[in-house]
Amino acid sequence: MSTPTLTDADLVERYAPLTVDKDTADFYRGWAERELRIRHCTECGHTWLPFRPICPRCWSFAVDHVVVQGDGTVHLMMLLHQGPPAPGVDYTTGPYPVATVEFADHPGVRLTATIVDARPEDLVVGRAVSLTWFERNGMPHPAFRPTEVTR
Amino acid sequence: MSTRNPLKDQIAIAGIGSTGFSRSSDVSGLELLVRASVEAIRDAGLTAADIDGVVVPGEPGGVNPGVLATALGLPRVTHFARPVPVAMFSMLDAVHAVHSGACDAALVAFPYLRLPWNSRSAANDPFRRHLAHGVQAVPESIAMAPAYAAWASRYLAEYGVDRDGFGLVAVNMRSNAARNPLAAITTPLTLDDYYAARMIREPLGMLDMDLPVDGADAFVVTRAVDAPDVGRPQVVVHAITTGLVTPNDEDQVPCLDRHSQHIVLDTLRAKSDFWIDDADVVCLYDGFTVITAGWIENLGWAPPGGTADFLREHWVAAEDRVLVGGRVQINPHGGSLSEGATRGSGHVREAVVQLRGEAEGRQTPDARTALVCTGGFFFNSQGLTLRRA
Ligand SMILES: [Zn+2]
Repeated sequence: MSTPTLTDADLVERYAPLTVDKDTADFYRGWAERELRIRHCTECGHTWLPFRPICPRCWSFAVDHVVVQGDGTVHLMMLLHQGPPAPGVDYTTGPYPVATVEFADHPGVRLTATIVDARPEDLVVGRAVSLTWFERNGMPHPAFRPTEVTR
Repeated sequence: MSTRNPLKDQIAIAGIGSTGFSRSSDVSGLELLVRASVEAIRDAGLTAADIDGVVVPGEPGGVNPGVLATALGLPRVTHFARPVPVAMFSMLDAVHAVHSGACDAALVAFPYLRLPWNSRSAANDPFRRHLAHGVQAVPESIAMAPAYAAWASRYLAEYGVDRDGFGLVAVNMRSNAARNPLAAITTPLTLDDYYAARMIREPLGMLDMDLPVDGADAFVVTRAVDAPDVGRPQVVVHAITTGLVTPNDEDQVPCLDRHSQHIVLDTLRAKSDFWIDDADVVCLYDGFTVITAGWIENLGWAPPGGTADFLREHWVAAEDRVLVGGRVQINPHGGSLSEGATRGSGHVREAVVQLRGEAEGRQTPDARTALVCTGGFFFNSQGLTLRRA
């Protein structure tokens, strides 16, 4: 989806109830373009999430973003048998998987998202996963799917 | 790291009060709060005119310190604060206020209410409808409570263990609660019951989570030299601290070997003249079972992942609970899992009761020292050592 006309107000409204503010707008603009951005320090190269305006390592304010390719490993894995309501999430049909994934190309930087197209045995700590996207309220949201591996 | 501790043994927890805890109270949060407060002030041998500090944590359904001061008719207050929830933020505020001279006698009062989002009966109570404005979360987040289920998955995978350690924590708390008249739930619990309980956020289920209750705890904090002699041993704060690792976002915390509990324990140990092996009373937070496992292991009682083996080694089968070294109870009051979800004020109160020698059927003989660790892994880890003066 190309979103050159997406105003700040549109972004805030369409990603509610997520907190889109001055610090995180660039992160969610990335989502709208199916691009997973993480904060990057142009002085020392440090990368981190969530978006904050200063590099915690060198205190540079010269921060921009880099786009992650999205391959990673499940670091934390939770199955929600009940939880907050969301469009497309029906806890009565089975638990909803929520994983925290650490990116292979940015060790220590993690994103929490659901996992799609997974068999039960894929929903475990240590599973290799890749980034994908799904739509909610007409807007792209990140998710992971098990990486095809030679079995 | 500051190892200074100029308040060591100077500040007393001179009064305690508690309503006890239930899942069916129909009085207001304010009434619970004032009942516990009046009991604590009288217990300290003081009156309204003596109380010039008021600290009330910002619990959902709680009140501002000004409301409590007005309800109690406190004539003159010079220190008041509304710290974020979890016990030691408020205790530490009061201890510092008294030590610095901001006030002479601080009332610290903790309100707890079942809320529409954690209790079905509360959701049906019209008088609690105004409490329904929680932060709207999305499923794809581990912020706040879900973080403990997420990190429990890491614990189980990284250490290659089953949930027995978590289950034994839950069983221990229930067995202890049976000896505590303030406890909300005392029906016996087995490890089989634990495993049979409904999953909520797998790998954690109903019995890994603390019990939403109505009730209140209150404390009066003074200088030890100012505390009236009411004919019982005085309990003094030996050391108190909080700890914060970075990053502390729930999904970015470094690892199970490096989170906020480690900072608390390093600091508390450096400020204290005694440590775990010399603690007669040990209260460890159990808002989720995995938090207790974290404290047990980070205190050095067990190696990483070793909570189940440690609890089994010290398990007293006849009492269905743990007595470390045949003597030291963990949460003699039953903890947040079974006394009720007090966010740690119950743990502080129990330590005081034990050090006074007033714990009756659950009293540790000749208890002189206590170690209390409250909060979890991220932004509310805290520690306290107490001693009988
Ligand atoms: Zn930098």
